[in-house]
Amino acid sequence: MDAENVERINQLLDQDVELREKIKDQVTEFDKKTRTMTGLLNRIHSTPPDALPALLDSVRPTLESCRDVTAAIAALVPPNQFWRWKEMWSNSLRSAVFTAALIHYLQTGGLLGLSETSEILGIQAEWQDRFTLAIEDYLHGLITLVNELSRLAVNSVTLGNFEQPIKISVFVKDIFAGFSMLNLKNDTLRRRYDSLKYDIKKIEEVVYDVSLRKLAPSSKVDVAGAV
Amino acid sequence: MSSSRNNVVNVFDAFRIDLDEHNDRRERLIKSSRDITNLSKKVIFLLHRVMTTDDVSTADKDDRNARAAAQGREKLKEIQKLFAAVGAEVQGDRFWRYQRNVSPGLQEYIEALSFTHYLETGKLISYDEVQQSLTGELGESYFPLTTEDYLLGLSDLTGELMRYAISSISQRGGRMKANEVCTFVRNCKSDFEVFTPHFRELRKKQSVTSSSLEKIEDAAYAIAVRASEYDVPPEMLDDIIVRSVTSEDGGSRNRRGYDDGGYDHDY
Repeated sequence: MDAENVERINQLLDQDVELREKIKDQVTEFDKKTRTMTGLLNRIHSTPPDALPALLDSVRPTLESCRDVTAAIAALVPPNQFWRWKEMWSNSLRSAVFTAALIHYLQTGGLLGLSETSEILGIQAEWQDRFTLAIEDYLHGLITLVNELSRLAVNSVTLGNFEQPIKISVFVKDIFAGFSMLNLKNDTLRRRYDSLKYDIKKIEEVVYDVSLRKLAPSSKVDVAGAV
Repeated sequence: MSSSRNNVVNVFDAFRIDLDEHNDRRERLIKSSRDITNLSKKVIFLLHRVMTTDDVSTADKDDRNARAAAQGREKLKEIQKLFAAVGAEVQGDRFWRYQRNVSPGLQEYIEALSFTHYLETGKLISYDEVQQSLTGELGESYFPLTTEDYLLGLSDLTGELMRYAISSISQRGGRMKANEVCTFVRNCKSDFEVFTPHFRELRKKQSVTSSSLEKIEDAAYAIAVRASEYDVPPEMLDDIIVRSVTSEDGGSRNRRGYDDGGYDHDY
């Protein structure tokens, strides 16, 4: 191999190494933020409904600060190289999606869409080829949300909130219906989707217990609507 | 059906279209990559065939190399057409999404291309030359060449050179050629060593390169030992070796020849 060629390759490799380091720093930041948020949100399992808004408010500043990280990563990634580097931050990003969707659900009872999630995380449309919220990552975030809500269904009963499991049941079944429309390949998303039925089963059991004992307002109970 | 259900279903419907499109494209690219792998293997076989089966007594060594390479070039053009089609599928940010699906065929192609290049010039093809071969008439690259594909493709070349060296030993001038190849592969190995910290796959391939090198070295050793037993001019020795090595060459080919099947690194 002549010297010129070796030099050329080394130059390309050095660029990659340098960029990887820089992205890694941002991902570390991102990770800290998502850990802080999931730590705080873990308290939803022990927070009575009237104290919930204050708890959600305490998470919001950190969620909003994720915009700094997404902007920093978008600035680092060279044009067209989004898919090359995305593995580095996809765990953090999925975690941020989960956080945003959970807060949204607890506030409104509805599903936070992909574009709304992007907006909350400050992801701009013109970053498309450098930083974007891929469908796959959004869906991973939603599955984590379902996992968490199945726990919440159980714990809200313990807290005396008998209505929450029923709301969760309807919500989660909507999401499951959505997932079942996708032709998923044999990847981690598919495996995690397959595990959703256990969450649904768990939620159904809670709904069953609550409605059997007439603990929930009867008008909202719809056990027969089980998937 | 509730309105919330309808909303979710509509959103996921759009996801499905997107994901299906992605999976279909992925399948198409995997298929192209497989076609490219097959064609590249054919080029490599073609080169070996021309190098070893041509009429030995009349053909001049350089001439034979040039003829093999010219035939290889023709075949490589077909493959380059396939790459143009791949390029159209992976425009913009798509390339890095499907890079892993394209890479097996690309590496096999680089192996064939670098073998052809070696026969033409006696040199290792450069990164820029490989990228240049994947460029359309208007000078547009079909897609960016990754350093990893380049190095891994070259790493496979050493195995082909080993076969080439061993099978040409029985030919006139083949011992000289084997020594040349031996030096060349030795240089390749040390060239690649510098880059191993960056690529796990390259570290694995280095051990294959080492064993290829050892086989050539053993062959060179056998030649040196035998040559010392005969105090005759090289041309006479050629005749002796043509007679004596034929059986051994056949044996060694079965043992260490085309045995990798080529599918070890495809997926």
